[in-house]
Amino acid sequence: MNNHISRRDYLRMMGLSGLSVGAAAVFGESVPLQYVGESGFQSSVLATNKIQPDRFPAVLANGQVIQPQRPLPILTETDVLVVGGGPAGVAAAIAARRAGANVTIVERYGHFGGLWTGGLVLLILGHIAKGPKQVCQGIGEEMMRRLEKMDRAIINRKPGQNPTVDAEAVKYLMVEMIEEAGVNVFLHCWGVDAIMQGDAVRGAVFESKSGRQAILAKVVVDATGDGDIFAAAGAAFEHRSHNIGLVSRVGNLDRVDPTKAPDADKPTRMGSATPIAGVNWVNLTGPEVDGLDLATLTRMEMNHRKFIWNKMQKTRSVPGYENVYLVETAPQLGVRITRILNGLNTVTLDSITQATRFADVVGVGGASSAKHGEWQIPYGALVPQKIDNVLAAGRCISCDIRMADLVRLIPNCFVIGQAAGVAGAVAARDRCAPRNADVAEIQKILRQQEVYLG
Amino acid sequence: MTSPILTKQRASMRTRVRPHLRLWVRVACLIAAILCLWPVHARLLPLVGAISPFVAVASLIAVRAFHAVLVLGLIVTLVVLFRHRFFCRWMCPTGLCMDGASNLGRRLKRKPWQGVSTGRWLLALTLGGALIGCPLFLWLDPLALFSGLFTAAAFPHDLAAWFSAFIFAALLIACILSPNLWCGGLCPSGALQDILAHLSRSVRSFRIKNTCHADTGHPVARRTLIGVVLGLGGATIVRGVGGARPRPLRPPGAIDEPTFTSLCTRCGNCLRACPYGIIERDTSGPWTSLLTPTLTFENDYCRQDCTRCTEVCPNGAIARMPLDAKPNAKIGLPRVDMRICLLGEDRECSACRRWCPYEAIRYIFCEENYTLVPVIDPARCNGCGACQAACPTDPLKAIQVLPYD
Repeated sequence: MNNHISRRDYLRMMGLSGLSVGAAAVFGESVPLQYVGESGFQSSVLATNKIQPDRFPAVLANGQVIQPQRPLPILTETDVLVVGGGPAGVAAAIAARRAGANVTIVERYGHFGGLWTGGLVLLILGHIAKGPKQVCQGIGEEMMRRLEKMDRAIINRKPGQNPTVDAEAVKYLMVEMIEEAGVNVFLHCWGVDAIMQGDAVRGAVFESKSGRQAILAKVVVDATGDGDIFAAAGAAFEHRSHNIGLVSRVGNLDRVDPTKAPDADKPTRMGSATPIAGVNWVNLTGPEVDGLDLATLTRMEMNHRKFIWNKMQKTRSVPGYENVYLVETAPQLGVRITRILNGLNTVTLDSITQATRFADVVGVGGASSAKHGEWQIPYGALVPQKIDNVLAAGRCISCDIRMADLVRLIPNCFVIGQAAGVAGAVAARDRCAPRNADVAEIQKILRQQEVYLG
Repeated sequence: MTSPILTKQRASMRTRVRPHLRLWVRVACLIAAILCLWPVHARLLPLVGAISPFVAVASLIAVRAFHAVLVLGLIVTLVVLFRHRFFCRWMCPTGLCMDGASNLGRRLKRKPWQGVSTGRWLLALTLGGALIGCPLFLWLDPLALFSGLFTAAAFPHDLAAWFSAFIFAALLIACILSPNLWCGGLCPSGALQDILAHLSRSVRSFRIKNTCHADTGHPVARRTLIGVVLGLGGATIVRGVGGARPRPLRPPGAIDEPTFTSLCTRCGNCLRACPYGIIERDTSGPWTSLLTPTLTFENDYCRQDCTRCTEVCPNGAIARMPLDAKPNAKIGLPRVDMRICLLGEDRECSACRRWCPYEAIRYIFCEENYTLVPVIDPARCNGCGACQAACPTDPLKAIQVLPYD
């Protein structure tokens, strides 16, 4: 392939195609140069001297900041709207789409995966139960299987073990799976409010670079983790504090010479292996605080960042560890538990000790080791007591304080998400409130989707 | 009035019928004992051990408190006062087995055992020790040994559980080699019945004939007295050995430590009755505590809703306890080794906190180390071991219930 480009050609292309294409040419990539539309300096000016249209700025009056009443543009209408693109949200969106619903998913960050990717919680913990048996099947298992086929995407995928993934591989895979399913996606879109009609949710409001917009939906799946949407809708919940940490990754661990370090100085808390050679992910538990408090979140980010950096300096000062470096701190703070829905039913510790079986089981959760038995997730734990048309998915479902630490684990969020997605699709199809949805039908579809229901 | 001839006839019939009748009753008792012990019924389990007069009398003296479970044994004790060796001749399953072995020995032309009754010494030592709470040879009770056979059957892979079975087998062999060795020579329960019958006869003959047989110079009484004094001395030593170390992890309801180690008959009822398999025989403590029940929380823990071990103890060494007393029945106190605790490594874990039934564990953030540290509230904790059973670290648990110091 002829990559040689004359200076005149180059300048012409710069003028025509803009800097991005030019850059590709300079680095000699074998990308075929294609005409990507009008994007020269002139054509990139979309408007001049523009005043933002449809402005409804808040007004300071009598010492109070008032947001004026205003109509919101409707971005789209959908059967099932999934708010939040973490493990639960992505599983919900794919499951609902596969169950035949028209699905839209919105995500506040620029990628899918939530705490699994953005939070760098790379460990798949909680997918096994006594046996050892893998209880997380369905979409979770599908993801793990597909990651296995990818290069350096997952390690330790053996029966009874907890696999670790690569965040970038997961981000890529989730895009692929969401696109395959045919889900309507809006990234960089922060769900901020519920749209209500009496006690029924009719959609949600989003804040983005395009301003505040509404999406109407027959059923909303609240996969925000914090229960932002059901809380905004007025559903009762329990407000809990929990440990907030910040995960980081360290690199060059394959260039460490531990023999040089005296035993007493050997750095501890160096994390666990990832699919990338020489790179570990390092968990941080952090203090138990309120994850809904802005000042707290800010303080946690700053404190944790200082701690991680200083610890790295200390590590590097140990002989043999000079080459270790901090690859990154997670873009997303590790908030574990905030709001817990008061649902029609509740997941309790008895579910494990007494192996409770629910007639409306929509999933089976596991634990971090193969020591404990499996526990069933009743559909009622996803449904608010009073508010209609919203389902909780992920770590915010109705559970007692002892179970919250199992419910919030990533594989269990897959299971819960998939259940919420299918339930949403069934409720939307039958035009009924999720509380009245045909549970037998939900279970049938979940089984078709290869979900393990005990 | 019946004629003397008729009475004589009846008497001769009785002697012909009775050996058979007695054999059948003994076999029936043996089968009943097996049925009580084999498929574990919590209600039946303690009956076999509790019916022993030796266990009942020695336990009553040692604890100086009445446990309902002792009633049976005390009733049998009353009976043997008037019917010499009634218990041995009609009820004792161990006796039947030993008699069988002795008969075999006689057929093999072995010379029956004839000698001083070691059993009386054992009895005297035990009762002497019981005076200060340490009945020394209670574990040699025939019914305790018999119950212990089933502990071996229940835990065939645990050598310590075979203790009673080994002794039982050794005694069977001894009875073949020297018929009647156990019942006539060694059994402290038999000796107790002899002494009681002797006392009762003495009292009755004193009352009827108004003559005094209770001569303090009598060799039996003198030996018994020496035995009791020696037992007191032995028990003092045993208490000294047990008193030095902190009380090990005992089943909830177990009475105070030095008394417990000797009051426990080592029958193994509690081991077999525990639905969670957390009771094991002590093999690491001092010799005085050898084979007594201790708790291990490696795989399971002492549940809030279970008092099974307290219900099956034949003599109240593990005293019965209402369920609501359980939170206050302190077994031990968990300690955390932060060198292996996952929280110290910042790994994701909340197992001990989740499984603590008494909400006694909190995780405190330690600013200095920037990690969480599990903190146990000793007021709430009863040492049930749920935290240790749940702890995922392997092979050593990061949180372990240890004796109170």
